Amino acid sequence: MPTPKSPTPETSTPASAAPAGGASTGTAFTRAIGLATIIGMGALAVFGLFISPADVRQSDSVRILYIHVGTVWVAYVAFAVTALSSAAYLWKRTTSLTWDRFAGASAEIGVLFMALTLLAGSLWGRLSWGKFWVWDARVTSTAFMFITYIGYLAVRGLGGSHQQRARRSAVVALLAVLEIPLVHFSVKLWRGLHQDSSVADRTHVTLHGLMLFSLFVALVAFSLLYVWLLMHRQRVLAMQDALDDKGLDYALQQRRSEGDA
Amino acid sequence: MEDLGFILATYLITFGSVATMAAFIVRRGRRLAAQLPAEDKPWI
Amino acid sequence: MLRVARLLAAKDLRIELRSRVVTNQVLPFAAIVMVMFAFALNSDAVVSRVAPGLVWLATLFSLLTLVQRSFAIESADGATDALRAAGVDPAGIYLGKAIALAVQLAVLEVVLLLSAVVLYRAQLRLSGVVLLVTTFVAATCGLALVGTLYGGLAAGVRGRETLLPLLLLPVVAPVLIGATRATEAALGTGGATVADGWPWVGLLAVFVALFGVGGTLAFGPLIEE
Repeated sequence: MPTPKSPTPETSTPASAAPAGGASTGTAFTRAIGLATIIGMGALAVFGLFISPADVRQSDSVRILYIHVGTVWVAYVAFAVTALSSAAYLWKRTTSLTWDRFAGASAEIGVLFMALTLLAGSLWGRLSWGKFWVWDARVTSTAFMFITYIGYLAVRGLGGSHQQRARRSAVVALLAVLEIPLVHFSVKLWRGLHQDSSVADRTHVTLHGLMLFSLFVALVAFSLLYVWLLMHRQRVLAMQDALDDKGLDYALQQRRSEGDA
Repeated sequence: MEDLGFILATYLITFGSVATMAAFIVRRGRRLAAQLPAEDKPWI
Repeated sequence: MLRVARLLAAKDLRIELRSRVVTNQVLPFAAIVMVMFAFALNSDAVVSRVAPGLVWLATLFSLLTLVQRSFAIESADGATDALRAAGVDPAGIYLGKAIALAVQLAVLEVVLLLSAVVLYRAQLRLSGVVLLVTTFVAATCGLALVGTLYGGLAAGVRGRETLLPLLLLPVVAPVLIGATRATEAALGTGGATVADGWPWVGLLAVFVALFGVGGTLAFGPLIEE
């Protein structure tokens, strides 16, 4: 079995054409987190694929769950951060676009991890239940969450001033907080009439000590990864906004001075 | 050996897409950082 | 606030009475959707079993066009900007537009229900009338409130035609589930009894309450510049 490639190509190679001040979104802190993430992901691959034993009932398919639980954890945290940052933005209006950028960066990460969650979940479901999809309340509202935050990202891309974008998307993010529990509840009611046992009951696993530890490794590694991605993405968004503010003239002037040098 | 294929696919796709996202963010950050003065980069 | 809402609702409905866009375009659209469902399902028994669901699906599709129409008349000549400049309470604007939308939706739903009776042989029964009316009122209010909210968000922005369905459909999923089950209970589709329907009306009521309050609070920040 090949060990998967380390996920974070975080190197400190200095970019050649750097103006005064740092040439990347990295700092000593993020580099440390990046290193820890790589180690954590490597450990996850080793524990998840080799060291952790196969489950009595689920055999090897339990290995997918380490990824699945890790990604769904990050996705939920990311969407919670989006909601909280949006609330913070609306609370102290006009003061800080930083909250808005945190919300946006977090939602992007959340959408990616939600996609991975759905993928790993359906592959695992195929192995355990023989089907890729079940109409369970949790599974279905997860899919709704995925679509909702894709919509949120689309709202962010609508254009207008930074403050307009921030206000619009903050409201949408807070409405999503209203929507998701309602969808979950109504799907639960809907399924309740058809089947008694939910997925949660059938997936109950008595965790072996090593399996529990592998799960722990996964949660730590994915949490570190989330922090790393969030910080870098937030900085990229901040620079993008700054560049938009300076406008085209500034970009042209930069280009010209590069040509002179 | 459906199990093995599914397990490997999960790990590879997860690590692969996360690495791709990280690479994109870093590259975009480098490109933007090269165009902006230090005062727009408060983390430095 | 209520005075503003009443004036705005009356304005929207008057525009519709003069222009007849909804009557001449959205109603025929909904009717053709109902016919197309019958083509797709290709079985009298299946169609009459799923008739309530089809009525509400057709309603949702029509809702998308109704919402777009509702805000097209605002942004066409900068009417919303003028209202905002005049310092009109956004909550009043929101409720007014929602009321006008609800009235149009109600007309549309009655037509769709009648067409289900005719085309799909759905059976109305006397014992289910109270449940049926309550369901339609609750679902209409819910759809109008949410539709106006997301319509206001997407109004006056490029690309809104494609964005609105993406934002709106996931949100109204609880209405589709609740209203369909309650309507089935009211009509007795698939052997459902009237008593089965009331919990679903409860779900619709929760939806209306949450988005009524949330929408009234959120609409102001959404439309202000």
